[in-house]
Amino acid sequence: MKVKQGCDAGVPYTTEEDLLNSPEITPEDVLGLQKITDNYLCGPEQNVHKIDFTRFKIRDMETGTVLFEITKPPTSETGEDRMDFEQNAGRFVRYQFTPAFLRLRQVGATVEFTVGDSPINNFRMIERHYFRGQLLKSFDFEFGFCIPSSKNTCEHIYEFPPLSEDIMREMILHPYETQSDSFYFVDNKLVMHNKADYSYNGGP
Amino acid sequence: MYWKPKAFYQDLFYLHNRAWDLQRRKRSTELTLLASRFIQILFLTSERRGVLSQSREKKSRLWMHSINGSVSFHSRLDSGILFSGENSKKLSRNYMDYLCFRTLCCKGPPPPRPEYDVVCIGLTGSGKTSLLSRLCSEATDNIVPTTGFSIKAVPFQNAILNVKELGGADSIKKYWSRYYQGSQGVVFVLDSASSEEDLEVARTELHSALQHPQLCTLPFLILANHQDKPAARSVQEIKKYFELEPLARGKSWILEGSTVDNMTAVKESFAQLIHLLEEKDQETGRI
Repeated sequence: MKVKQGCDAGVPYTTEEDLLNSPEITPEDVLGLQKITDNYLCGPEQNVHKIDFTRFKIRDMETGTVLFEITKPPTSETGEDRMDFEQNAGRFVRYQFTPAFLRLRQVGATVEFTVGDSPINNFRMIERHYFRGQLLKSFDFEFGFCIPSSKNTCEHIYEFPPLSEDIMREMILHPYETQSDSFYFVDNKLVMHNKADYSYNGGP
Repeated sequence: MYWKPKAFYQDLFYLHNRAWDLQRRKRSTELTLLASRFIQILFLTSERRGVLSQSREKKSRLWMHSINGSVSFHSRLDSGILFSGENSKKLSRNYMDYLCFRTLCCKGPPPPRPEYDVVCIGLTGSGKTSLLSRLCSEATDNIVPTTGFSIKAVPFQNAILNVKELGGADSIKKYWSRYYQGSQGVVFVLDSASSEEDLEVARTELHSALQHPQLCTLPFLILANHQDKPAARSVQEIKKYFELEPLARGKSWILEGSTVDNMTAVKESFAQLIHLLEEKDQETGRI
């Protein structure tokens, strides 16, 4: 399972407006996006396969140091209101790193997720990272088949794109202007969309 | 171009960096001493390890001290003054080689290790997750049965194995073949100390895998795990019981005992698998 990395050449540009108007969003559609989306491109109700992300960990591959780890608390009995909150709770993560993070070359990102009781044939993730209007890197990862009612983990290695000193300085000086969209597809249809933003100045 | 051993250039690299620092901070005497050391190393090639002759040492020190305090590190390296003819040329050559090394090594990270996709199967409780976690230097105290897949990039000295580990419970086992596509190798883990009944199930599964169309041409690493347990059958017994000699004939396979208490041996077993994967890779390249 190789991670395809890079900025796509030859893929037609798409805009958020185009996609919000189409009935189904495919991987090719999001690969054409050139900036972070303002809105989520799908709602929690599209997650018919009941995919739930339960744990996320990042570690530096050179030293093995765990840089970030978060586990989702088990969902308790919920009423209507709680349900809404729970469903949207995991969609956005804010990461607060130090400047040293930008000097890393390889990080291992482990994601753990559970799946509902029907099998999933082709689960795929496309994640795009931007700083202001610029695409820094795009990752494309195919999980493939997922067993019903399973809990799966996957660690993939992210190679940091080479960043100039200027860009790094700007990223440190402008917290949360580095942002990412994570799109999840089952059988080439968008089922989930999560977002994250990042600071590198070591502070809140 | 003839390259010196890497350590030679690395020493120069660090000295050179230190020299720039000293130069910036105008620490003239230290800079002089450092330049002297730099020249010594440059002159001493791998063919002629040894100490500079006493007279030359003395000459170099005298020359060093005579240099004006504000002069740069670079000018201190003017070997024309120190050495003549052949020696001076050699020194220049070595210095140029070092500059090349410096340019190359500053360009980027070391060449990437080759990656191979490997599937890891075995019955529940055989120890797949524990072994792989240990190989990744991760804690093994809160390991629970794997109820799906677990994909990990396991680093080794000469390669990275992208291991797709699959749970061994009955409900998961029936889906194993959904994950065989794209594998380049197989790791099969078994509990050497399991009951007769379980051992028989393991044998059936191993034979299935060995004959599966998507796996039958791939190298197999079979680990007879839990060798530390008193009830563990020996590797010889496992080999016989699993009928590996007849059944796996013509295929490339390795059978080794293993235990989480001896990870050095486990790494050695994986290194053997990597060797088989490399050979297979080269073979495919030639076709």
